Amino acid sequence: MRLVRALSHFSFGKNQISRERSSAQKLLINWSITFFLVLVAVVSLYPLIFTLLNSLKTNPEFAQHPLSLPKSLNFSNYSETFTRMNVPKLFFNSLIVTFGGILLTTISALFLAFAVTKLKFKGSQFIFLFVISMLVIPSQAIIYPLYQSILDLGFGGTYQGLILALAAFGLPLGTYQLAAYFKTIPEELIEAARVDGAGHLRVLFSVLVPVSIPAIAALSILNFVWMWNDLLLPLVIMGGSEKGTLMVGVALLAGQYDISIPLISAGLLVALLPVFLVYMVFQRKILAGAMAGSIR
Amino acid sequence: MKTRGATWRNSSSETDKSFFWILKKRIMKFPYAGYLLTMPGLILVIEFKLIPLINGFLLSMQNTRGFEDPKFIGLGNYSRMLEDPVVQKTFLHALILVCTLPIWILLPLILALLIFQESPGWRFFRATYFLPYTIAPIIVGIMFRQMLAPEGPLNSFLRAIGLSSFALAWLQGPTSALLSIASVALWSFFGLGVLTYLSGLSSIPLDIIEASKLDGAGFWRMLFSVVLPSIKPMLGYWTVLCSSGVLIWMFPLVYALSQGGPGISTMLPEYLVFLTTFQFLDRGYGSAIGIVLFLFVALITSFSVRYMFQAGTRGAKS
Repeated sequence: MRLVRALSHFSFGKNQISRERSSAQKLLINWSITFFLVLVAVVSLYPLIFTLLNSLKTNPEFAQHPLSLPKSLNFSNYSETFTRMNVPKLFFNSLIVTFGGILLTTISALFLAFAVTKLKFKGSQFIFLFVISMLVIPSQAIIYPLYQSILDLGFGGTYQGLILALAAFGLPLGTYQLAAYFKTIPEELIEAARVDGAGHLRVLFSVLVPVSIPAIAALSILNFVWMWNDLLLPLVIMGGSEKGTLMVGVALLAGQYDISIPLISAGLLVALLPVFLVYMVFQRKILAGAMAGSIR
Repeated sequence: MKTRGATWRNSSSETDKSFFWILKKRIMKFPYAGYLLTMPGLILVIEFKLIPLINGFLLSMQNTRGFEDPKFIGLGNYSRMLEDPVVQKTFLHALILVCTLPIWILLPLILALLIFQESPGWRFFRATYFLPYTIAPIIVGIMFRQMLAPEGPLNSFLRAIGLSSFALAWLQGPTSALLSIASVALWSFFGLGVLTYLSGLSSIPLDIIEASKLDGAGFWRMLFSVVLPSIKPMLGYWTVLCSSGVLIWMFPLVYALSQGGPGISTMLPEYLVFLTTFQFLDRGYGSAIGIVLFLFVALITSFSVRYMFQAGTRGAKS
């Protein structure tokens, strides 16, 4: 962090002759920077606060004072959301497909990254290029044929159908990230295990995986965020079945004609809470390692 | 040990047994493990990405309207697209979004540079800016439907500071609706850009900064000759990411905010694919639009694939 300070100190300081003037200038600059940062923070937070306040109001109260603080804490919207959206069921569905997707995509990516970086065989580079180049195919462009593939396998409206699709779309980036990480692991570590007679799987799971936990964790958290939040794949694959995810539930709830703003606000908060909690818990890890994108 | 060629020559003069021995050795040498380990991943991307893409291309050459059997019409759907004003407008809207890219690239850069100064509370700002990105776009869309309502908080704020002429019915006007969606998307994704830039900034080595300090470089000099060149990979990465993002991140926002309306003024390619396929049940035509969308996205994202391949094979730190 000292380096950051050094840059900050230097970059905004003028030359040494006019130090007096520059310190006053510096103060002004620092205050305007803080003001700007606060402004952006308010813009980032206000929609959430607004939704939270609305979710605690009764319907007539919202109609009269849409922008004020709620008079009293009223949780009836939350209980109504739970019954109208069947939150426990949707939550369970989201949980299953998200964790299934993370597990499948991480294991496949581990195998692939291990094979192409540590077992250099004929065509391994080509396979790596092939898998990461699948990144250029977005789900939005091929949504119907993708749905058809899942139907042909007999997986329409099932957990496994959605899990497979999520895992496939998370794979290119996951493979790349793990391969880039494996590249930094010294060969000697693997050689030592091989001398002890360890097979490929032993090497992967008892040598490489333990030292790659940071990379695997970062990848899993990012996969968690997009798999939990994705709308198009669950909307199409689960359709109207009762296996829809929370996001599908929220989208359908918002489309109901008799829905009130306080009620939908409560539904939104319930749906975003899991990712919010994960973010709060793993904040450091996410902020430190979030260099992965969201092209899938 | 003999070379492989030498063993082969010897085998002709020896018995069949040694021939099979060599064959067996070759079979044993074949990198089964490597291929086997790549299988699960390869099957996943082939079955759920490559084959759907090929099927999508085949489907895009069929006429699937009505109750008749699908009919092969060659490039008929593509020539139909060229004359379809809806498709033209849809891609024009995407082009308008592309024109907003400088803001997508510069705003996070400015914020990252300011946070990087470690002004008071920078940790809080960093965490806060990333928060919107963690909220599902469909939730963001529904949330902003209320924020942008005619009597919603945004307009109340504008009236309060005396800008009541700017208090529009944001999602009802054709131009303002498209720009509103772009702004909501920016709200949702800018934090990812800030973090991307920050990860680049924190990797600038100290000695480079020290050296330019000794040279007496001022802030702007430092920015353009030290900081920006050092974060060039991040700059490229984020530019590619949000360029493809304006094409493929918008579906949940359009779904929640406008459903493509008013009229077709917020219709975007990815939403049109969805609508044509699942609402109008015109699968061939929907696939054709999807293939064109794919070509644009592939053109943009192939840049990041190139970078990833180099980083992943040479072991450069990502």
